[in-house]
Amino acid sequence: MLAQQLANGVMLGSTYALVAIGYTLIFGVLRLLHLAHGEVFMVGAFAGLQALLWWQFGPLAALIVGLIASAVIGMLLELVAFRPIRKRGNSHLAPIVSTIGAGLVLQEVMTKTFGAEQTPFPSALSRVIYNLGIISVTGSQIFILSVAIVTMIALHLFVTRTRYGIAMRATSENLQVAAILGINVNTVILVTFGVASALGGIAGVLVGLNFNAISPFMGVEMGIKGMAVMLIGGLGSIYGAMIGGLLLGIVEVMSVAYLVSSLRDAFAFGLMILILILRPRGLFQTGIRTER
Amino acid sequence: MFKNWKTGSAVIGLLLAGGVSAVADVSIGILIPSSGKGASYGQQQLNAINMFMEKYSDIGGKAGKLKLVIYDTRGENTEAINLSRKLMDSDQVEAIIGPQFSAEAEVAFPLAVRGETTMITPMAAKAGIATANRPWAFRFALTTENVYRPLLDAWLKKQSTPIKKVVILMDGKDAVSSFDGKTVFPALLKDRGIEVLDTVSFQTGDIDYSAQVTRAKSLNPDGIVVSALYNEAAHTVSELRKQGMNQPIVAGVGVNDPRFIQIGGAATEGVMAASDFFAENPKPAVAAWVKDYEERFKQKPSNASGQMYDTLYLMRECIKKTEVTGADFKADRVKLRDCWANMKDLDAPLMGPTSIDKNGDGTRVPTVLVVKGPNFVVAQ
Repeated sequence: MLAQQLANGVMLGSTYALVAIGYTLIFGVLRLLHLAHGEVFMVGAFAGLQALLWWQFGPLAALIVGLIASAVIGMLLELVAFRPIRKRGNSHLAPIVSTIGAGLVLQEVMTKTFGAEQTPFPSALSRVIYNLGIISVTGSQIFILSVAIVTMIALHLFVTRTRYGIAMRATSENLQVAAILGINVNTVILVTFGVASALGGIAGVLVGLNFNAISPFMGVEMGIKGMAVMLIGGLGSIYGAMIGGLLLGIVEVMSVAYLVSSLRDAFAFGLMILILILRPRGLFQTGIRTER
Repeated sequence: MFKNWKTGSAVIGLLLAGGVSAVADVSIGILIPSSGKGASYGQQQLNAINMFMEKYSDIGGKAGKLKLVIYDTRGENTEAINLSRKLMDSDQVEAIIGPQFSAEAEVAFPLAVRGETTMITPMAAKAGIATANRPWAFRFALTTENVYRPLLDAWLKKQSTPIKKVVILMDGKDAVSSFDGKTVFPALLKDRGIEVLDTVSFQTGDIDYSAQVTRAKSLNPDGIVVSALYNEAAHTVSELRKQGMNQPIVAGVGVNDPRFIQIGGAATEGVMAASDFFAENPKPAVAAWVKDYEERFKQKPSNASGQMYDTLYLMRECIKKTEVTGADFKADRVKLRDCWANMKDLDAPLMGPTSIDKNGDGTRVPTVLVVKGPNFVVAQ
């Protein structure tokens, strides 16, 4: 059972990781919390669902539609909820409020359009179960895990090998210096939002595919979990978010499997507090201090 | 005329008095939440009241007409208290049907005992509310225990290989699901000699059920009991099938909603559940009533409307049987109490022969259902 539960934890954790990477990318460049990121994730799930319902191109098309929809919404949020505030001086509080507002708007729009109830997500993938020795996985789980791995590798290549990726890292080192060195900071920020939100969208579709139902409120809990993972991994650290996501998923699953399910979130957040006590800057320390 | 029945939140006392007659009318108080929390229940119940009164307002015999005094509790306990007092003291009704929510019933039932007036709730579900207020309080709805007893018997009988041990998967956050999963199901299973290997819980709103299901799988049960609302139950059932667990599943009352099958899809095939009122019941009396209801109100009747209709019907039967005339409300109240307390297999039009047990709770045979394709059907 332990091996199977580990596999369950990795499945859950990989979606947490994708959401957390989005948070951490945006925090990295802006040093600001994007509290509507959970809702961006939710929009991705709904867009993916529509793709499955209308065109029936299969899960890959759903992923691409979800990714694009979330990226567009994410960039729109940067233009509407971040940029105007950034221009008027460096308030840390204002974007928090403006993103909470934007998140609520997205929730309400989706509730009006699709209803407040959970919407079933068609299982586009085969229900074939593969027995791999001590664990068994379904076709959809293999798909989800490979998408998560491919996405993370692609992201790694993007930030290390491409001009925009390098500019993004430079901007996250120091926004002013990057601007002085001739980097178009606004474009970089916009691209960062696009990439971060696309990852959220992918996570949304994956959650829909794996758990078969989505709702306009699914982003709330995921948003909180994503933030916790970002803190566990270290603010602004992409690799920290990857490891932190897996860790949180595994801890949650193990607490349900061997302890009490009602205390699942208590264990998850207890872990976060413990890590922050032992390593205040998270597992993968970055230059960003948590007390900022 | 019928528009009047539905008016607003305040007093809807309506006389269907057909002019002055020698005999007094029999007045019955009704407490429903037609606005505020649970207004949809109240509206559905008003629909049922309209349909009932159109057909049955004449009592016949020595009594005059049936007169309903309908008040809106807004689902609030204080209103339930005030309006119960009003019905007993100033309106001097013969009996009260309501209130509808368990919390309201808990505060209103003691007043019925003090005011020596029969009070019967059509739908409140919490265990023990009528028991605590003997001999004046009653419940028409089946307690979950009374629903699960025949359900489990039908489920166990249906299996080709006998079920000896089960795992209960339940929602720990939902009050009814958790009570059923922790208390009601285990007791009933124990009576039938079935071992509960483990009770695994999840929380309302969870999306990932893999850990719970893997834990259940490792125990290798013969059958699964799911006690949850339809969303969570559908996810649990999907995950069970996804992890290759093909054991028979029986589910609590929370799954009685078409959305259970919509969300769970093919995984829900064969899941058994039970319901007191079942709108798709092929029984002619039910089918005709449902058709009539749908034509009038352009919606499917719910449990709430069915329960109100049948409670009214049984109340009228009691009035006829005990020859209550409305002349002496104190004497009438005692007669009606005794009629309810001794009710034995009195036929309710929608839900069938109903008895009242020593706890004041209704008992009858619920409809045992099984998922077949995209619908619940009556289990054979």
